[in-house]
Amino acid sequence: MRRHLRAEWTKSRTVPSTVPLLLGVVALTVAGGAMASAATTAPACAASGCTFDLTKLSLTGVLLGQAVVVVLAVLAMSGEYGTGMVRTTFTAMPRRSAVLAAKAAVLTGLTLVAAVIGVLASVLAARLILPGNGFTPAHGYPALSLADGPTLRAAAGSVLCLVLVALLGLGVAAAVRDPATAIGVVLGLLYLFPLLIFVISDQAWQRLLWQVSPLNAGLAVQSTTDAGLPLGPGAGLVVLAAWAALALLAGGLRVRLRDA
Amino acid sequence: MTDACVVVNGLRKRFGPTIALDGMSFGVRPGLVTGFAGPNGAGKSTTMRVILGLDAADEGTALIGGRPYRDLRRPLCQVGSLLDASALQPGRTARDHLMWLARSQGLGARRVDAVIEQVGLRTAARRRAGGLSLGMRQRLGIAAALLGDPPVLIMDEPFNGMDPEGIIWIRALLRSLAAEGRAVLVSSHLMSELQDTADHVVVAGRGRVIADASVARLLETASGRRATLEEAYLELTRDAAGFRAAGAPEAAL
Repeated sequence: MRRHLRAEWTKSRTVPSTVPLLLGVVALTVAGGAMASAATTAPACAASGCTFDLTKLSLTGVLLGQAVVVVLAVLAMSGEYGTGMVRTTFTAMPRRSAVLAAKAAVLTGLTLVAAVIGVLASVLAARLILPGNGFTPAHGYPALSLADGPTLRAAAGSVLCLVLVALLGLGVAAAVRDPATAIGVVLGLLYLFPLLIFVISDQAWQRLLWQVSPLNAGLAVQSTTDAGLPLGPGAGLVVLAAWAALALLAGGLRVRLRDA
Repeated sequence: MTDACVVVNGLRKRFGPTIALDGMSFGVRPGLVTGFAGPNGAGKSTTMRVILGLDAADEGTALIGGRPYRDLRRPLCQVGSLLDASALQPGRTARDHLMWLARSQGLGARRVDAVIEQVGLRTAARRRAGGLSLGMRQRLGIAAALLGDPPVLIMDEPFNGMDPEGIIWIRALLRSLAAEGRAVLVSSHLMSELQDTADHVVVAGRGRVIADASVARLLETASGRRATLEEAYLELTRDAAGFRAAGAPEAAL
């Protein structure tokens, strides 16, 4: 397994798309959060007594960053099928599930680094931007801080979400092979549920869809106020993890059983 | 056959209605270059993919030193192979391509530089693989095959895209690898490419072996009028060209 890891790490390190994509994850995550923070102002709401979930607001960019994570994950697998290099890979490393495991490990490491940077910078950006929009301690909004338990949980959970989305992408790519199809399937899984929930009016269905939606359930961890969500942060992450595990299982079976 | 280190026995495989392999059996012995000839669609590439564990046969076995390829621990140190020279990430440099392969076998950078030198790719080593000519990509593929210093080499159409100088180089390389005691299996759809290279020829047609003999015997048997391997081959494969569809009459072209 050590040789598999070193081989897959060398592959990721030497393909020109890795660094730009990782930078893309960071940039979109931070930009999305900063824009959301900049577009929200306090006074209108303060009068009516409602409260903003500023932590969640600051992490809005995760919604954008994850799309780049999906591309990174899918290319790690489908890129090899597209060029036929997968045959070289499997002649060098015939234990195909070990190859998939090594790819998953390397992808987890790379995504983790980008996600930590992106999430930390998002919180920092919000901390700098929000006071200018009226979210000041005087108005009852203390500055965002990772020393605050719920905020730390939301930030760490967002990082975990991005990693799980990467694993979901890798599993789907191993299962369907074609990069365009894989990216379509993963983005569909992520963004279609929220759309359906928005369109469907029946509340029971809305709730059920929300609970099985990888995106909604996974990002429940970002909520720091009691928003009455259908799932708590832990259960939400479990739903997303289950999707990722299912995808990896399907991908692993397909890779093992089919001719390369 | 008992001293063969690659033994292919009764391979059968079909892709939908097409029978790709129909009882393919032969052995590859050490110290010889074994040519693997046959028209396009005879099952040469499929046989090689089955030997390398990439495709699963419906029936039959392909063993290397008595073991299936998928059980080999550091496979590139036991079997070096070249299937498709274009099967690489075009954005990665030639040297980095060899580098990840080396890492997968626990080999170091020194071995990578040695094979780059051996195949004459030193000036192109830092160039992206996608920008290399087909001939240079073949050399890169051969470098990958030699990386683990394996006792068995399997190459599918290594002469493709090579200029005359490259063809002469490959011939000499294959001969020297066999002279070192390695088992070398080389496929080609052009018998003339094998004439001065192979010691032994396995001729395939319609997914099975039509002839399995030394080059000398192929030239001397039967009518005795054959001057070249090409003629011997054409006589052998006259009825065996192309794929055969199960249950369907031979398509009229």
